[in-house]
Amino acid sequence: MTGRVLRWAGLAVVGVTVVLAVVLASRFGSDPGLVDSPLIGRPAPEFTLAGLDGSEGASLSDLRGDIVVVNFFASWCLECRDEHDDLVAASESFADQDVTFVQVAYQEAAAESLSYLAEAGASSTTRYLADPGSRTAIAYGVFGIPETFFIDPEGTVVGKIIGEADALILGATIDSIRNGEQPGQQITGDTQQRPDA
Amino acid sequence: MSERTRNIASVAVIAVMAVALLLLTSTQPATSDRVEQIGTRLKCPVCQGESIANSPSQMAEDMMDLVSERVSSGVPDDQIIDELLSSYTGAVLLDPPASGNTLVLWVAPVVALGVGIAVILWWRRHPGQKADEATSPGKSRTRLVIGGVVLVLAFAGIVVVAANSLQDRPAAAAGAADIDEQDLSEVSDETMEAVIAANAEDPQVNGMRLALAERYFDGGDYRSAFPHYLVVAEDPNATGAEAITALVRLGWMAYDGNGEVETATRLIDEALAIDPGSSVARYVRARVLWCGAGETDQAIETFEELLADPELAAETRTQIEEDLEMANDGGECP
Repeated sequence: MTGRVLRWAGLAVVGVTVVLAVVLASRFGSDPGLVDSPLIGRPAPEFTLAGLDGSEGASLSDLRGDIVVVNFFASWCLECRDEHDDLVAASESFADQDVTFVQVAYQEAAAESLSYLAEAGASSTTRYLADPGSRTAIAYGVFGIPETFFIDPEGTVVGKIIGEADALILGATIDSIRNGEQPGQQITGDTQQRPDA
Repeated sequence: MSERTRNIASVAVIAVMAVALLLLTSTQPATSDRVEQIGTRLKCPVCQGESIANSPSQMAEDMMDLVSERVSSGVPDDQIIDELLSSYTGAVLLDPPASGNTLVLWVAPVVALGVGIAVILWWRRHPGQKADEATSPGKSRTRLVIGGVVLVLAFAGIVVVAANSLQDRPAAAAGAADIDEQDLSEVSDETMEAVIAANAEDPQVNGMRLALAERYFDGGDYRSAFPHYLVVAEDPNATGAEAITALVRLGWMAYDGNGEVETATRLIDEALAIDPGSSVARYVRARVLWCGAGETDQAIETFEELLADPELAAETRTQIEEDLEMANDGGECP
């Protein structure tokens, strides 16, 4: 009798330990940046940001009625460099289709971002904005870059791409929004944090 | 020492250890400052398990500035934390929430502690158990083996779960190499234009370029179709079939759009130089000569030769048959 009780008690301890260990282990390799964005399906956080060159910039509320693509980028981000040509191409291709591309510099001085854009080639149809204090990045829950958000004409966040986006993914996401769909979150690759983070 | 004293001592040792553990894992703020207090509860999203109050990263600094600003504005602590939760979810909390799938992290240690105390108490009240085990070495060995197997299985389970969780992030996005595999029926003209512009130097984009040009051509939009056909026609890496399609379309547009018969036949002849047997090139050339130069007999001859080919595509056959009938009746080309 005593032995049986002890056995069950021992098994219970092992069981609890295993459950605990499995829960811990399941979190071990997970990337916190891969959580589903709570913004999807909700009104997009408002922002009014100056242009990188000190120009007037843009306010999200002024873009209501357009599909707005908000991309966070920086010159130190390799994935951002890889996706740059695709963003430029998509921005220019959709420019007369009520789609506005906005690129927000992430944790970088405006002069560095401008220097990078001069080297990589800026799009004449994209708004390049500064985000002092990372307020907009924080409001959008940015974990690393590149991250790209899609806002429908009513101002609701309907999509997000974590990682490098190519023209096909950007275009297909915009197409699905134009069809009244909510593309949701897509993970395409790695994101980066500032090297000194 | 009496058995009762030993029991009390055992429970006391466990209780002291539990309290020490709780103190060690506690994240009570070092100061009473509200900003620091909130900062120690929030995890820096770009760091490894550090609070924004303790991390030197720029992001943590920016978040602390935000918290400080909110505190100065008189916003309650919970609202400040809720604001960040609304952007980052529970991933921004340093302590996992005592709900959902992390609830077990809070409950399991308490359950394990309770079971442990119960086992010790039970053992103390039944000291004969040790003697039983001493006289039954076979049973002890069996229990040891079972215990070992359970632990090995548990370890294997943990490794499997951990390995799976490491595969959360998928491979990089589809690149230019996958362009040819895309179903283009649902893809808009603007998306195709963007993909083509972004991969202009990649010969694999020629398939999409021709598909888009064909869309424009079929819609009568020669102005949009022309540059795409021209790029494919001049691309030394284009396949023979791609080049023939582009040259034939350019030829037809030269005639149909600008009435340039000579340019049209020259372009189509370039296609025929790649493949003299190309039925499409031969058909369009004959049609240009019939429609543009009135060479009806030559067109009829070519149409008949093409129709003699049993492998001619059904759609092309129907079209040629209609043209042949019209040409034989002496009618003008449509």
